[in-house]
Amino acid sequence: MFQSFRQAMAWLHTWFGLVLGFVLMAAFFFGALSVFDREIDRWAIPSTRIEPQPMPSFEKVLRPAFERMQPTQQAIDAMKPRVNGAMPERFDTVVSWSAYTTHRDPVLALFAGYQVPNAKDPEEAIWADTTIDPRDGTPLPNDRLKIGSGFFYPMHYSLTLDWKNLGIFIVGLSALVMLAALVSGVVMHRKIFREFFTFRPGKARLRSVLDLHNLTGVVALPFHFFFALTGLLIFAATYYFPLGHTQLHELHDLHAEVEARETGLPHQRAGVAAGLANVDAMVADAQRRWKANDKAGDVGFLVLQHLGDENGYVSVYRAGTDRIALVGDGIHYKASTGELIREDPAATPVGRMAEFLTGLHLQHFRHWLLRWLYVLGGLAGAVCIATGFVFFVEKRKRQHAQMGSQGARIVDALAVTTVTGMVLATLGILVANRLLPEDLPARGDWERYAFWGTWALAFLHAGLRSAPVARGLANPAWREQCWAIAVFAVSVVALNWATTGDHLLATLSRGYWPVAGVDLFILAGGTISVLAAFRLRRRAQQAGQERAASQEAARA
Amino acid sequence: MPDPASHGSLLSLALIASVAGMGWLALSMQVHAQQAWNRAPSPTALKVLRWMGSAALLAAFVLCLCADHATMAVLVWFMALAGAALTVAFTLSWRPRWLRVLAPWVRA
Repeated sequence: MFQSFRQAMAWLHTWFGLVLGFVLMAAFFFGALSVFDREIDRWAIPSTRIEPQPMPSFEKVLRPAFERMQPTQQAIDAMKPRVNGAMPERFDTVVSWSAYTTHRDPVLALFAGYQVPNAKDPEEAIWADTTIDPRDGTPLPNDRLKIGSGFFYPMHYSLTLDWKNLGIFIVGLSALVMLAALVSGVVMHRKIFREFFTFRPGKARLRSVLDLHNLTGVVALPFHFFFALTGLLIFAATYYFPLGHTQLHELHDLHAEVEARETGLPHQRAGVAAGLANVDAMVADAQRRWKANDKAGDVGFLVLQHLGDENGYVSVYRAGTDRIALVGDGIHYKASTGELIREDPAATPVGRMAEFLTGLHLQHFRHWLLRWLYVLGGLAGAVCIATGFVFFVEKRKRQHAQMGSQGARIVDALAVTTVTGMVLATLGILVANRLLPEDLPARGDWERYAFWGTWALAFLHAGLRSAPVARGLANPAWREQCWAIAVFAVSVVALNWATTGDHLLATLSRGYWPVAGVDLFILAGGTISVLAAFRLRRRAQQAGQERAASQEAARA
Repeated sequence: MPDPASHGSLLSLALIASVAGMGWLALSMQVHAQQAWNRAPSPTALKVLRWMGSAALLAAFVLCLCADHATMAVLVWFMALAGAALTVAFTLSWRPRWLRVLAPWVRA
């Protein structure tokens, strides 16, 4: 079929890259945004715009907050079919209480699981969760859509297609294809080192696009490779070949960490009532032990199991902010007496490798430079894919125009939708976030509709304006959507100012970077798209003049 | 981990070393030297630039190691190299003469 290995690779690269490139584009772009998911959350939920806090005292803050928790009516209704008989009024047998925070979280997420009498699966618990201000325990709105960690992040790994984990399988397949595309790309690229720094914007269209494609692909090659690989590994561990079930399935932050850590710790209640010793003392002891091992001592995750039972125990996990590896260094105490049960042993070399690879992708560390470099890597990947689309179209559109084929036109419209359209949709959800009334029921759903609605409009626009491509010309939708991005970007920042009073001068002078950073990043994006729009207009005018000149010449 | 101030300066130095190193490596290539100076320096000069480039990238790695835990330093270094390569490539395509700053001893 192919005359040479290189041709076979080129075929693979072109077609697999084209089909799954649309998915990869979303994975890269929303992945880059997810690096700052908590900061975007702060932007989107103004009442939580406070400084990050360490894990508060259990006795003073957490305990009263946990005691107030009960499952929502929704959770109770959802559980009903899996229970024999009626649901109780209150749930009092606590399976676990847990609190989770990171060095970037000003709010504290609390989770509580309760035993359900007569549940068909006696292991199944009913869950409740809430969000509190860690300074004093006041409940914060828990029904707001966390646009960063609750929407952009799921977009990154599942496209929010939750049905049968379909999105996760599509993204995983794309990651696999990405690895193949990287290998085949390296094979096709004859001059990796000789053209390492090469970008010639002045050269013929095809050449300059290919230069940029190669440049963004090659310089960040280790990033692209390791993120596709580690992404796949995380999927494989959690979804494709899950080792043991985890009740906290939904909590991306915790991942496999909690899994398999219960070794040597009671799995069941003993049925003998018992009290709870001072948890703060246990936390202090855990911090002392970490310190002795030269590890930063912030608590990331605190779990109380089998509350009020003789078998109850308290696990204290470290927030691993000082190294890449995702390690909890869990220390476990007997709940009733506070005596040490066990310290998690150091991982095996293979385990350490896995911790490093997962940690590399999930980024629990405290390192702002590396975070920004990850954003750069992600955006470089997005540029690489976008230029791949443009190259595909540019290479074929004249030929297609002569043959009367619509192929290039369709690909181009889809490319506009996935490149500028995706940015527009992202800004669209932020606009909706600021414009929708605060107390609108199901506000988060409306925000999601705004996202998909904007994206659908961008797709329609790209399709309607795509006719010139079939004649071998450029689609004006690229330029028009660049202008739309600029308008949206300015509106988003202005709306943030108008609705919260947090304009840039205020956030910058306060040094509140989560909000200032989001605003500045959006404005930078808007500026780039204005520059791009001007460039595209100049190019369109040049093309128009050339065409007019050649028609003139033909007539003469 | 060093205190925040020295952590910051170590990382800044690492970034500067990566950009300089990538710049020297680019200038050690005929094509790019031509872009910066409109003529190619002598083969020895190119060789010197290549050695300086490699040394600077190595220095950047050592600086990263001083700043962070080794596992983190590797990632910071790799990503800093990517950023530096992009910076140098875009400088070459936009204002190639600016790279002359990196090697003032080479006469244009």
